[in-house]
Amino acid sequence: MSDKKLHEDQKYIDGLAENNTFIIQAIYDKFAPKVINYIKQNSGDAYDAQDVIQETIITIYNQAKQKKLQLTCPFDAYFFLLCKRKWLNQLKKSKGKEVTINEEVLSKDDDAQVLSFETSIFENKQALFNEMYQQLGDACKDLLKATFSIKSMEDVAKSLNISYAYARKKKSLCIGQLTKLVQASPKFNSLKY
Amino acid sequence: MEEQDYIQFEAYLVGDLSDEDLITFNKRLELDPKFNKAFEIYKDMSAHLEHEIGNEQETSDFKANLDVISNKHFNTIDDMDNTNRTSEKSKFYKYAIAASVVVLLGFFLFNQFGGPKYDEYNNFDPISLTVRSSNDADFSKAEESFNAKNYNEAIKSFNNILENDFTNLEIQLYKSMALVETSQFEEAEILLRKITNGNSAYQNKAKWILALNYLKQDKDSECIKVLKTIPQDAEDYKMAQELLQKLD
Repeated sequence: MSDKKLHEDQKYIDGLAENNTFIIQAIYDKFAPKVINYIKQNSGDAYDAQDVIQETIITIYNQAKQKKLQLTCPFDAYFFLLCKRKWLNQLKKSKGKEVTINEEVLSKDDDAQVLSFETSIFENKQALFNEMYQQLGDACKDLLKATFSIKSMEDVAKSLNISYAYARKKKSLCIGQLTKLVQASPKFNSLKY
Repeated sequence: MEEQDYIQFEAYLVGDLSDEDLITFNKRLELDPKFNKAFEIYKDMSAHLEHEIGNEQETSDFKANLDVISNKHFNTIDDMDNTNRTSEKSKFYKYAIAASVVVLLGFFLFNQFGGPKYDEYNNFDPISLTVRSSNDADFSKAEESFNAKNYNEAIKSFNNILENDFTNLEIQLYKSMALVETSQFEEAEILLRKITNGNSAYQNKAKWILALNYLKQDKDSECIKVLKTIPQDAEDYKMAQELLQKLD
């Protein structure tokens, strides 16, 4: 991926990560209408479209924040594929209907396919990670909260009244426990590890 | 994986392994697929937590901003849809509008004598804070007090919230509205100037409140100056124009 050229539309990704109001507005003005049309033509209404678009933008934001998402295709195609896939999956779930997802018609851009697919997997990972985090005991949750909000492990140890070495070990084991929980989940196989 | 493996993962990510251990570690990543897979998950989980917990504030600001923009966008579409749908009834509306213009004109002329008053414009919508937040007590108390027009109490709760969350622009905006209500003009002005100078979704609302802050102090020329900076797509544009005409 890294040898590919960044697309100029990377500005949308960076703008989302920076919570830039102008960029977010531009995304709505330029790219939302196509998604709204699509959803309206496929058993949805404007409210469905609003939710799908908002959830998609939050996913892109999350990925941009953590993984430094590198856009090598136009934002338009990438964004549309993500919204479309999300909507079709929701239809499948809510109506129990067989929905065929044929992606060939609207996107001939391979990069957009690959990137949007990676983002969809990223979204599933986030969901499963959050679900597993909720299953952790309070001791681990408190320690992880302190670790990732305070940053300096020395200060974390101080705030929890434990030694530095113990705090560090506990952190490894708590994330280790999460790793095990994730691997044991029935949803794990869809995450493409 | 054993406990020791997870401790090694952490040491690797922090960059704490000795050169020798690092070579062993990398070799094992290469040769032991189970070890490699567990490490990939551990690494992703670590990045995930760092973002979820470390950027909690930023993310909630982002979501609030997104909410405002999304609602604005979809409301405009709604309006456009509605005007299309009602086109057959438009004749009736034309007469109705013409009639109401006559009534409004009378009202407007009558009102001219007193000059516009702050009290005619401070009918703020109720605020809703409880949905997206975790430290509920302060948020629900702030919301309750503000909506009951108990502005001094609301300011106390806003201050509590801002203590932990000083970058929360939405709360800063509401606080400034409460400050104007309680005639704490200087503090309101400082806060509002700060918000209007940023480029958040609350920028235009802050301009409107700043104008009201001047109106309440009868500083007409400063009020006019601020009103003129409120752009056409702002929620309060119409009110701003109306007030501007009355002041000019």
